[in-house]
Amino acid sequence: MKIFITDGSPAAFFTAVFDAFKEKECAITSDDKLQLSFDSEVIRVNADEEKCARVRKGISAYDRYAEEEILLALRSCDPMKERTAFEYIRKLMLFKSPIKKRLSLPEVIEFNDLVYKVTGEIHRLKGFLRFMESKSGALYAPYSPDNDITELLMPHFAERLKAEKFVIHDVKRKIAGMYDGREWIMGYAGEAEIYLSEYERAFENLWKKYYKSVNIEERPHIKQMKGYMPVRYWKYMPEKKDD
Amino acid sequence: MFKVSAMIEEDKLEILTESAKYDVSCSSSGSRRANRPGGIGNGSGSGICHSFTPDGRCISLLKILMSNECIYDCEYCPNRRSADVRRARLTPDEICELVISFYKRNYIEGLFLSSAVFESPDKTMELLTQTVLKLRKVYNFNGYIHLKGIPHADGATVMKAARLVDRMSYNVELPSEKSLKLLAPQKTKQSLLLPMKSLYNAIEYDKQNKVRRGRVLPAGQTTQMIIGASPEKDGQILKLTEALYRNMSLKRVYYSSYSPVVKSDKLPSVGAGLLREHRLYQADWLIRFYGFDVDEICGEDENLPQEYDPKCAWALRNMHLFPVEINTAPLETLLRVPGIGAKSAYKITEARRFCALDFDNLAKMRIVLKRAKHFITCKGKFYGSDSFAQVKTSLLLAGSSEVSEQLTMFSDTPTALSALTGEV
Repeated sequence: MKIFITDGSPAAFFTAVFDAFKEKECAITSDDKLQLSFDSEVIRVNADEEKCARVRKGISAYDRYAEEEILLALRSCDPMKERTAFEYIRKLMLFKSPIKKRLSLPEVIEFNDLVYKVTGEIHRLKGFLRFMESKSGALYAPYSPDNDITELLMPHFAERLKAEKFVIHDVKRKIAGMYDGREWIMGYAGEAEIYLSEYERAFENLWKKYYKSVNIEERPHIKQMKGYMPVRYWKYMPEKKDD
Repeated sequence: MFKVSAMIEEDKLEILTESAKYDVSCSSSGSRRANRPGGIGNGSGSGICHSFTPDGRCISLLKILMSNECIYDCEYCPNRRSADVRRARLTPDEICELVISFYKRNYIEGLFLSSAVFESPDKTMELLTQTVLKLRKVYNFNGYIHLKGIPHADGATVMKAARLVDRMSYNVELPSEKSLKLLAPQKTKQSLLLPMKSLYNAIEYDKQNKVRRGRVLPAGQTTQMIIGASPEKDGQILKLTEALYRNMSLKRVYYSSYSPVVKSDKLPSVGAGLLREHRLYQADWLIRFYGFDVDEICGEDENLPQEYDPKCAWALRNMHLFPVEINTAPLETLLRVPGIGAKSAYKITEARRFCALDFDNLAKMRIVLKRAKHFITCKGKFYGSDSFAQVKTSLLLAGSSEVSEQLTMFSDTPTALSALTGEV
């Protein structure tokens, strides 16, 4: 079986789709730790502009919304994401029309789930992200999401915090989105040192007080709380990080 | 950069939050208010939850009273004039600064401002309006604001406020005029329904004239009532609910089940139980999203059955309409199958356009068939039970996990405080 290995970029993925399309038994992955069986043949794929463009064009010709969804799926942390997206593209090419609603196909269900997990996390973190104010007045939000979504959160916060300066820092992937009050960019960000404004602790404490006061203690339902707000996000939330 | 000048004391925040926390509504959906140049905040349309408390409820808005000092003496209310509780009041600036400081740290989606009636209804409404005016114009805040309406307050002030905020609510408090007279004598049916009606008219006017900027209440109106503090049956409550949806175009009617916190001769000594509240919400959804009329679900002087959810109960009374074929039944019919929700019904209608669905397909689409299987056929094949008794048992079993879940969710201990709306 041929295994096409990419660097994880969308361009390399679309190139791999081009190369793999005619193969019967094959897989695409960006997972380096992949367990290979003895009969697998590894092919490293480098992004090729022309192949990539042809695949994208082919996809959009049959479903003009599919490319955007594939790009969302590729931001997933699921090691099978390339395979799932590839199977979806194969099916799309087979039917030559949008397949998103063909819910009796397992490939479609799997792909939709992948996209749903990414968009779901974007929505959650629009709520759970927490900024702290630095001495200079700029806001800083460290977090570590499951999926690579920082770039997709930036427009949301740039719109609502229009007049502020802020940084959203994906600590695990070492990348950050930075907004200077006019436009935003993405960049590399390792460790960050932050000097908090003199009010920061006080507001954090007010918020914790609010959180405690608004809870109805006599009706505990911890399971539901954790279901809606998974524990892995708590680390960066002032009201939960000590729990 | 915005300067902090009036940081509020933790004690005040605690008092005014604890007085506000029994208000059920915390939704921030329905408004797409845009941010302005140099401003802060916008509406998100679908609403965003920013945190969840250990009781399983979401925090979306900063839910707070301006004051809990009240001139009214409503029988059921922990903040009534005659109650011996700590009192506090915030200034408009204190509220504004708190909102901005919380909002920019992304703690909240906006403000839910309410108040007890201090000095006079006019004065209270005036100060609430001043606060939201300041938030919008001075602090340039364009996030979500839900404002509670004060009964008996001047109509012009209310209108002014309505032009500034996203949602308003007047709580009808109790399901009948008679109960209102008994338990909240200072509030009258008219003082609650008239402002609701004039807000409805203003919203309709904007809609018909296609007003785009500065619409009145883009997220509409809601209301809340206490269940079980007065003798009204579920049927009567649901009739009222239906009328409020139809005549006032309310977005939501919230119920809060009564439990005895305040001792009074006029109040029952036992709580209503949270299962009743849960069943009412289920019925409310059937009315809003599933095309049911109240008469189909519940007779005027009956209560909803406790052991089955209202849709199952309806289906058991109407077995002659089932089973329905999943591949041909129209959406309205699918919506009436126990166990099939709006999402599943939609999925089915979409997927069956491409190929006929069998039982396996449904399972793979993650449609829960525990209950539904007794009411459907897939490509003509029936997978349920022919015995009515067996169907009943199976629905009971399928529902029991849900009920026990609900009960732990709202574990109702004798010390439990009520889900009363403390304030107006």
